[in-house]
Amino acid sequence: MSTVDIKVNKTAEKGVDNRKVFAYRVGIRFIRAIAVAFWVTVIAFTLIRLAPGDPAQSRLGAAAEPEAVEALRKQLGLDVNPIQQFFDFFKNLIKGDMGISLQFDREVTDIIFTALPVTLWLIGFSVLISIFVAIPIALFVATSNNVLVAYIFRSTTAISIALPNFFIALIGILIFSIRYNWAPLLGYTPSFPENLKYLWLPALVNATTLVAILSRVLYSSISDTLKEEFVETGVIRGIKRPRFFWFYILKPSLAPTVVLLSYIMGVMLGTTIIMESIFALPGIGTELITAVLVRDYPTVQGITFIFGIIVVFFSFFGDLMAYWLDRRVKF
Amino acid sequence: MSIKKFRRWLDEPGNSVIFTGFSMFVAIVLAGILVPLFYKYGPNDFVGMPFERPGGEFLFGTDQLGRDILSRTFHSVYRDLGVAFLGVSIPFVVGTVIGIILGLSKSKKIIAVISSVIDGINAFPLLILAVALIAFLGPGLGSVVIILALTNWARYARIARTKAVVVSQQNYIEAAYTLGYPRRRIIRKHVSPNVSSETIAYALSDFILVILLVAGLSFLGLAATPPTAEWGAMISEGRAFIINAPWITLFPGAALCWSAISLAFIVEGISRREGKV
Repeated sequence: MSTVDIKVNKTAEKGVDNRKVFAYRVGIRFIRAIAVAFWVTVIAFTLIRLAPGDPAQSRLGAAAEPEAVEALRKQLGLDVNPIQQFFDFFKNLIKGDMGISLQFDREVTDIIFTALPVTLWLIGFSVLISIFVAIPIALFVATSNNVLVAYIFRSTTAISIALPNFFIALIGILIFSIRYNWAPLLGYTPSFPENLKYLWLPALVNATTLVAILSRVLYSSISDTLKEEFVETGVIRGIKRPRFFWFYILKPSLAPTVVLLSYIMGVMLGTTIIMESIFALPGIGTELITAVLVRDYPTVQGITFIFGIIVVFFSFFGDLMAYWLDRRVKF
Repeated sequence: MSIKKFRRWLDEPGNSVIFTGFSMFVAIVLAGILVPLFYKYGPNDFVGMPFERPGGEFLFGTDQLGRDILSRTFHSVYRDLGVAFLGVSIPFVVGTVIGIILGLSKSKKIIAVISSVIDGINAFPLLILAVALIAFLGPGLGSVVIILALTNWARYARIARTKAVVVSQQNYIEAAYTLGYPRRRIIRKHVSPNVSSETIAYALSDFILVILLVAGLSFLGLAATPPTAEWGAMISEGRAFIINAPWITLFPGAALCWSAISLAFIVEGISRREGKV
């Protein structure tokens, strides 16, 4: 693969048939995404088999009837050999069947599809807030010549990355929900403009960390861009300010941020578990916690699988976006 | 080191930040050692009336069961930081070793299989994998250590592998081979110090993440469970009383923030020293 890569790079440098190169690169990245998705499936499959002892026995307790344990083993698909189990699991996944929840008598896919939109709204809203805050901050700090500004910026962001988000969330609730009554303590409405009323505080808490991470990366890549010769050319030619900021500084600096953002969105799937549990949002994290506490194995397995696939999907599109923004990006 | 030398050391860029972070970290570790040894109340003793305000006999107040919060807060130190330390050091060692082996290995098959396992594990956010595994291992701090050992190594392995590939192409490695040193010596003396400098840097910032992860899992009731004195669990217990007795939540929360920030300062100082600002 590496030799082919080098060849492609050469043609790209010559500028021969860029569209083909683009398609080729995207294709390679797509194959890699599929490979990772395969391992995600394997890991989700292995999870349930990692439990010490028999998962069916440990869910039903030691005093359970042997017949009941046997029935549950059958329901979980544990009664055949592991390789056959994996093929069954894989076949069912492709059909969109992840089994039935042991707790609620609902299909796991059904649970996921009702809960996932809440989580995606929360993540999307947090990311949107963070981008709008992080870009001006990073531009300001990177273009200011004051060393003190950079130091204060770096120290504040270092602290805000280290703060535990659930603690910030509790303080946020204490201030905004209890003291001033600006945000509801719990509840959720799925329809669009109303749900922002419930989402703004958790999204803001998520944003405290996210703004710090994003503005740091953006700051360092803007600083690198400012050293480039084309920026100097732009200054000399006297390009108008907004155009200068967007095309000369921001656009070439965005690629690393986009890659990071796609990764962070995956990580945020994890942190939203905590946010959803604090703000009692009916998202996929809340479902996961409930399922974990009652040992609802098919649900845990299904949700973990979906999380992994979403992360793979995010990072694939992040890389594509970065490549589209800046063709110098390699992936 | 004389005071004069120390002053000069502090003047170098980044060192004052490292020093601040390090002192903060030492302070909380000392408190975590001294309070359990010498303080008059144990973490689970019912010593006063419930909901006593901070100040007076109980410096941090008492919680809903009349337990001393100061004692509970500092009894948590060795649990939180200890679990986090294990959860970082085991993956650090395992991941670095696997990364070096991968980086130097010549067998394409082994590289392909292990690195795709690494990619697969890294595809999951750590918290999600941890929560999912707890469903099968059962809640507890021990499970958290096992989970971190099982999953977190993949991140170290990825970093170590990239670095090991770069290092193995350097001239001094070739020189060492030419001098006829055995492969084992080259790995031990030449490759691993260069690789581990990179993974140690990651380990420091990972330490922050893992501290927050342990506390976060306990907050969700998946790691330390009440009545264990642990910051996340204490914050979660105090949540119900946050309106009338916020100190139950605030003191363990502050201790958690303090430890995380102290490490963040150390990381920040090191990156300033290396001139990354």
